[in-house]
Parts: sequence; structure tokens; C-alpha cells
Amino acid sequence: MKMRFLKYALPVLGFALVTGTSAHALAFFKNVPEVDPSLAVGALMLLVGSLAVMRARRRK
Amino acid sequence: MKLTVRANPGPAGKSLSQSAFSLTIPGHLLGRFYLFAGIVAVEDLLLSRMINMGLALPLHPFPFAIMSFAVFLGLGHSSLKAQREVIPFRFGFLGGHLACLAAAVCFFFFALPALHLVGFPYLLAADSIPKAFIGLSIPPLALACVPLHAWIRVFRVTSPLWVYAALAGVCAGILSPLSQKFWSDPVTAPGQFLQIATFHSVESALRFFMPDVSANAATYAISTPRFSVLIYAPCSGIQGLALVLGFTSVWLWYCRKQSRFPQALLLIPCALGSIWLLNIVRISMLILIGDRLSPAVAMGGFHSEAGWITFTAVALGFSMATERLSWVRKTPLSVPSPVGFPAGVETGEAAGAREELREEHGESPATGAYLLPFLAILAASLVSKAASGNFEWLYPLRFVVAAIVLWHFRSELKKLDWRFGWVAPLTGVAVFLVWVAPFRWAHGSSASPLGSALAALSPAARLAWIAFRVAAAVITVPIAEELAFRGYLARRLVDREFDRISFSRLTILPVAVSSVAFGLMHGQHWMVGIVAGLAYALALRWRGRMGDAFAAHAVSNLLLAAWVLSRGDWAQW
Repeated sequence: MKMRFLKYALPVLGFALVTGTSAHALAFFKNVPEVDPSLAVGALMLLVGSLAVMRARRRK
Repeated sequence: MKLTVRANPGPAGKSLSQSAFSLTIPGHLLGRFYLFAGIVAVEDLLLSRMINMGLALPLHPFPFAIMSFAVFLGLGHSSLKAQREVIPFRFGFLGGHLACLAAAVCFFFFALPALHLVGFPYLLAADSIPKAFIGLSIPPLALACVPLHAWIRVFRVTSPLWVYAALAGVCAGILSPLSQKFWSDPVTAPGQFLQIATFHSVESALRFFMPDVSANAATYAISTPRFSVLIYAPCSGIQGLALVLGFTSVWLWYCRKQSRFPQALLLIPCALGSIWLLNIVRISMLILIGDRLSPAVAMGGFHSEAGWITFTAVALGFSMATERLSWVRKTPLSVPSPVGFPAGVETGEAAGAREELREEHGESPATGAYLLPFLAILAASLVSKAASGNFEWLYPLRFVVAAIVLWHFRSELKKLDWRFGWVAPLTGVAVFLVWVAPFRWAHGSSASPLGSALAALSPAARLAWIAFRVAAAVITVPIAEELAFRGYLARRLVDREFDRISFSRLTILPVAVSSVAFGLMHGQHWMVGIVAGLAYALALRWRGRMGDAFAAHAVSNLLLAAWVLSRGDWAQW
């Protein structure tokens, strides 16, 4: 029962932490970009594409 | 070419060989919930970009709705998945939804400016009308995706889950402003703690290289004889921490079946620590570059790009750690041959484990050939922009790196059909006209610092830079982008073994999604980028040959290069 509760509670806790921290971080985007939002699409495409390549199978 | 719209009855009815352009809508309940969430998210993104009103949806219900929806889908996943009855999609309600959105956009663009002009006394109330229309558009969309009788059944089979979901949403709604206040309060702010820690860490790191660096703890200023920066709270790593927290949570959820818990959770603080330390390295390098090399490079390209470079590095490192570390993975990386068996001979158990590993690394082996040329261009652009101020002098790096990667995969790429017909150049010309027309009609040639930066170069350097820029636009960029967006993404949305799918059988949905991704990559040109993506996809689908997409893309880029060089319209580059 405890493990079942943890299984569902942890993602919810993570979700709350992520949205809370992101909301705080996003508020700063208008002023000083530590990560420039105008470059987000290219950078995220690079990340997602690299992850896809990493998970590709080897040719037999 | 006929257009048919149908509901997909599920895996059994999944067809890759439809001859018509068909829009496939998930037929079952769970798929419809995902469709509903996806449509709301995409519309919100597009509306916020289009009418620049922040987040387009009314903000207050956000934490409640997101949390309720997440908890409901998370806890009720298995119950919802068990509902296998095919449900109809109500296009009438979709029409109502679109009508509300159209009303919001029309009111925003036409009625509000008119009310401002005539000095309408209740402008504040009028400003909220578009948001009200957008809020009103949500229920019809919910009923279009999931009919009323299906909603009633959902509440019945998942009861009392929806009560817990609503309670979680209420908690999120209450906690959201409190947590933001906690972060923003100057007395207790973790942001200020990060600021102090970052300031002293950067100062210590710099003293190692520059003994003459001076630091003012009252203003958080770090100065060298030639360069000075103020370390604000927002520069103290909070954005990187947020991004890494988001990525690591999503990635662990994605890999939850292959990872051991709670061991895998220990990687999250490691990743957070890494991004924070890398932010200190970033600020230290920024000051070193500003002092020793160029303040323009430090505050221009490096300041903007370095944050993404460090985030990408940490995210890739984290995902590699979850894949490679044996104490995090459930399945072992290598399965040893059993004692007494020669190498290469496996027991059924070992072979099964290997097969499981292959299934886990499920992307097609062709993924690298289709994606790496484009990824090489993206990586090279991050590096070249980081090393640049106002002018990207390292642009030739993009061409060279892409050419090397394309050459590396030449045997794989030779298998593609490179022939093209008359439709390809025609499409290229049409895309070029669509690309330049809006900017020409709107404000003529736009001012861009590129022209003056090129004029400041020596003739030989200017000629070389332009030659590489044109070569990239006409050769490497069309090939790499078409391989990535049409060759990979559009087909990968249909099936994991994307390289087995014929281009002539691509359906509307993957073509549209890949075109939107293609458009978003083009920044301020995103809308014409989507149109261009759709046009290249149509050229590709015409005879099912990549050559047609390559040629169409190359022709439009060639014409655009000629336009830029002949008219000095540098903003188009």
C-alpha cells in the first residue's frame, strides 16, 4: 500500500515542484535570460533529436 | 486526392497503407483525453504567439486544471485504458470551439482597437472579452473529443477518483501563489541564497585565473580592469535548475519501466548540482571572455547560448547515466555468455534479455542517418553563435560540420530516391514568393545588422562568408532539414520503424505536426515556415521521392539567397 501511494504521490510531487519552480524561473525570462527563450526551439530540438539517436538500435 | 476523416479504432485498425489523405483521430477514451490536452496546449501556444496576450487562456484556473487533469489521468490510467469502446468525434462541437476562438481573435484584432479609438470607458472589461471567448471554447472542445455520454461513463467507472483529482487541483491552486511568494520573498528567498552562493563561487573561481578581480558583495558586482558584471538573482542558476528539474522528472517517468526506484531519483540532485556548478563556470567564462577577448562576444552570443549549451549537456549526461549505470537500470547492459558455452552461443534466457534490450532501444537504426546532419547544424549553430557578437563570423562551421556528417552517411543516403520532377522547382518558387511577400508588403526591406557587419569585412572575407552562407542554404540545409522533418519526423509519428513507410502514404496529421515543428524552428518566420513545410511535404508526397522535397527546398533557398544579395534585404537571412 505504501509503495502504491509512493508510486502515485511522487510524480504528483515532482509535477508540483516543476511547475512551481518553472513559474518562478519563467517570470525572470522577460528581464535577464540565463537561458534565452528565443533559442528554446532549436536547443530543445537538439536535445530531443540527440535522445532519439541515443536510443536508436545498432544495425545488425 | 480525396480527404477522408476517420476515427482510428485502435491498433488492430492501424493502417499504414491508406491511399487517401486521411486524418486519423484516436478512437478510444484515453486517446481522446490525450488529444484534448494536446489541442488545448497547441492552441494556447499558437494564440499566445499570435495575439501576444501572455498565456492565452485565463490564468487563474491553470494550476487547478493542470493538476486535476494530471492526477485524474495518472491515477485513472488503467481504468480509462480498459474502456475500449470506439466513441464518435463530434465535429459540430469542434465547429463551436473554433467559432469561439475565431470570435476571440476577431474581437482582439478588430473590436478592441476600435474601442480604444473611440475612447470606450470600460476598456478593462472589454480587454477580458477575448479571454472569456477562449475560456468558453474549452467545453465544446471537451464534448467534441469525448461525447457527453462518455463523460458520464468516465465519472461512473473512475468514481471517486475525480473527487481526489479535484482536491489535488484545489491544493495546487492554493499552493501555487504561496510557493511563488516563498521564492520571491526577499527574506526567505532561495533565489537570494543562490545569488549569494553564486556570487562568492564565481569570485573564488575567477581569483584562480585573475588575481586582480574585484568583488562588491553589497551590489553583487564582479569587476576586472576591462569588464564588469552584476550577478542578479535571475542569473544565479534558477532557470537552469527549473529546466533540469523538468527534464529529469519527465525523463525518469518516460524510462520508469527500465529504471530502478528509488535509486534513479538520486540522479536528480546530481543533475541539479551539475547545472548549478556549470552556471558558475558560465558566468566565470563570460567575465574571462569579456576581459580577455571581446565584451561584445561575452554579452552577445555567449550570454544567450551558453545557458542552453550547459542545459543540453546536463540533460544528455543525465539520460546517458540512466541508460548506462547498472545500479539505475533494471535490465543489465551486457548479458554474459553462460559458462561452458562458446562466445556467441546463448541460452534462451540470455537471448530473451538481449531481445528485451533491443526492444528497449526501440528507435530504428536509420535514425542517425536522418537526424544527425540536422543535429550537427543545430550544435554548430549553438557553438558559432556563442563565439559571436552581433555578427556570426563562424557560420561556415555549420556548412562544414553538416557536409562531414552527410558524407559519413553517404552509403545510407544513396538508397534514397534523389530524382525530382517539375513539381519540385515549382513548389520552391511558390514557397519563395510566400516567404518574401508578407515582409515586402508589410514594411519593405527590414533593417538588419548583418549588412553593415559584412560591409566592415575585407572583400575576400566577405566573399568567403557569403559563399559558405549560400552553399549551406542551397546544399546542406535543405538536405538536413528535409531528412529530419519530412524523412524522419513525419514518418516517425506514424511508426517507430519509420524508414519502412512510403512517403506517398503520409497522412495529414504527421505532415501537419512536422510542418508546425519546421515552422517553429524559423523564429519570427514561423507562420510562413509552416506553410513552407506543408508545401515541401506535398512535393514529397506527390511521387513519394525525397528528391522532390530536397529540390523544392533548395530552389526556394536559392531564390531567397538571390533576393537577399540583390536587394540587400539581410533580415531574410
